[in-house]
Amino acid sequence: MGAVDYIWLGVLAVFQGPELFSVAGLSIPVTLAMILAGFVLGIVVGATPGLAGPMAMAISLPILISVFGFTPDALLPVFGFLVGVMKGATVGGAVPAILFNTPGTPDAFMTTLDGHPMTKRGQSGKALRVAHFSSASGDTFSDLVLFLCAPFLAILVERYLDLPEKTALLILSLAFIASVMGRSVGKGLIALGLGLLVAMVGTGEEFYPRLSLGTETLSDGFPVVTVILGVLILGEVFKSLEALWFGDTRDAAVKNAAITGDQRLHGADIRRLLPYISRSAVIGTCIGALPGIGSTLAATLGYTTGRQLHARRNPEGPTFGEGVPEGIAATEAANSSVSGANLIPVLSLGIPGNAAAVFLILAADSIGGFNPGPSVFRLTPDTVNPEAVIAFGLFTTMLIANLVNWTLGGLFMRGVGIMIRVPRHILLPIVLLLTLTSIYVQETDLSAIWIAIAFGVLGYLMRLLDISPLPFVIAFILGGTLEDTARQAFSATGGDPFFLFSSVTAAIFMGLAVLVIGVSIRNSKDHP
Amino acid sequence: MPTKPRNSADTSLAILAIVGALLALAVWIPADSASGLIETVRRQTRVGDALGPTVAAGFILLGGILVLLRPVPSTARVVLGNLRYLAVLILGFAICIGLMRWTGPLAVLAMADETETYRNLRDTVPWKYLGFLAGGWLLVFSMISLGARRISGRAAFLALLACLALIAVYDLPFDDLLLPPNGDV
Repeated sequence: MGAVDYIWLGVLAVFQGPELFSVAGLSIPVTLAMILAGFVLGIVVGATPGLAGPMAMAISLPILISVFGFTPDALLPVFGFLVGVMKGATVGGAVPAILFNTPGTPDAFMTTLDGHPMTKRGQSGKALRVAHFSSASGDTFSDLVLFLCAPFLAILVERYLDLPEKTALLILSLAFIASVMGRSVGKGLIALGLGLLVAMVGTGEEFYPRLSLGTETLSDGFPVVTVILGVLILGEVFKSLEALWFGDTRDAAVKNAAITGDQRLHGADIRRLLPYISRSAVIGTCIGALPGIGSTLAATLGYTTGRQLHARRNPEGPTFGEGVPEGIAATEAANSSVSGANLIPVLSLGIPGNAAAVFLILAADSIGGFNPGPSVFRLTPDTVNPEAVIAFGLFTTMLIANLVNWTLGGLFMRGVGIMIRVPRHILLPIVLLLTLTSIYVQETDLSAIWIAIAFGVLGYLMRLLDISPLPFVIAFILGGTLEDTARQAFSATGGDPFFLFSSVTAAIFMGLAVLVIGVSIRNSKDHP
Repeated sequence: MPTKPRNSADTSLAILAIVGALLALAVWIPADSASGLIETVRRQTRVGDALGPTVAAGFILLGGILVLLRPVPSTARVVLGNLRYLAVLILGFAICIGLMRWTGPLAVLAMADETETYRNLRDTVPWKYLGFLAGGWLLVFSMISLGARRISGRAAFLALLACLALIAVYDLPFDDLLLPPNGDV
């Protein structure tokens, strides 16, 4: 079987998978329905300040697994839903940013700068259309890069990297994530070490589960979903609740601006926006391909680059920040093009680069039958590699989600402006109970709720101390893999203590890991 | 916004990280792992269970030293108010989870016949919902009220609606999902 056969099998896995219902003899596959449902939910949560795509993914996961079970047939419907949420939330974040000057997601902050002035001028419809067109363009570009790069990168990793090199590559990725997330390398390293340490509780090769303090509760280790939901979701909810209870951040009254003039997006508008969109799409894709950097930086760089281009092209006209559509286009194309490229390290290396990727890995881990990493793209000629079929099926779901975005995304976007009116002091307690219930139905143990609350407190403290929780989460997920690979590499090299420097490639990766940390420390010293 | 380069919360964090990592390296990891860093068993050398945690604690130690010696602009701030908030939050959780855990069994004790136990009734209506409704309702109601800075009938109604919606989402369609606390009792 060749690559084309695998791609075709992936497409068929989506369209000939389990049927939801049939209309006039035409079968409607459940995966298609799940993509649409996920996309709609994603737009709604993206448009709701205080909620985010990862939150919806986290809460949906146990329900999805209960509906579809733990069989390989469940993978594509669940992935389809999560991909839909991921893409919908990216588009939806622009809605409150443009209409109400409140970014739905952090990466939509730069969208407020030009989006809201356009709304105040009565151009909200046009601003939303610009945001949608730019976001969908950036997202599609990023997905195409993912489809081209991930399989080749995975094949290269499988062909040229042995166990010591893979161990060194994991260390390099973790060093990179610790260095680039947040302002302080030291805090990144603390979060990284803590994540690794938590991952190692209750595990090991000996009969006695290490670091369990001799207790029954810790001897099985910490449940993965519980820890991640605690740090990522509960930590954020605790922080937001505190701001609501003790700060002066109660929801302000929302006013609708009047709409005047032509709201459509014409061919001439698109031609004018394309240079901004293309630059930002490349920037966002490059940033997304590197684990851990995130869409907020992409949006900032896209906006800055777009502003320079605009100043050169229109020295006399209105500038960025005064309500020019190019500002929205530059931001939205950049932050949306991160999402597809973010899956490059997941699918080629098994390393999650952002929170959405974390939940895709969690879904794969919970259901089983698909282990994101270089082995996914092993295109065996004689037998079918089911993981490769699922990977190409995942690509198909992303293409379909893009199609949904292009055709219906704009329509949904213009309909979810009402979500800004949902008061956060009502929404957050409900999200809290929803998260705790979601954890319980997976673990069926009240101690899991307490563990989640404990990690929620950790997540809250991390936010207070200006520590990004993502290095913790990513190290927690990768901790087991890193240790297993290192153990195997050590044994395979006959107990060589310098196995991480046993080949040129491994030594280069280790050198780069030290360099990344060193450069980040130096840069932080240069910019006090 | 960036504040002064030397931040007291960062200094405390650094000291905590250094002391914690040293304690883990010197006491916890050696005492709570069944094998050392490197083990040789039957002439085969392999990685012991203590190596991974030692590396992890090493990262924490290095991070703490960097935070202490290379301060960067930071918004980190932990004051007594934050800790007081956490204490109130945890106390609130303890009350709500306690209510969730014990409402059902106590109701059975009070209302069902003497031979019946909650364990036997935990899959029947209304018993299986009592704990979740009581604890979940109190959690959402109290938090909405704190956010609104007043107690209202609307908050009580919304909290009830949220609990019923969660029952509709998690319990009604699925036989294999258990709402809290029915997996424990």
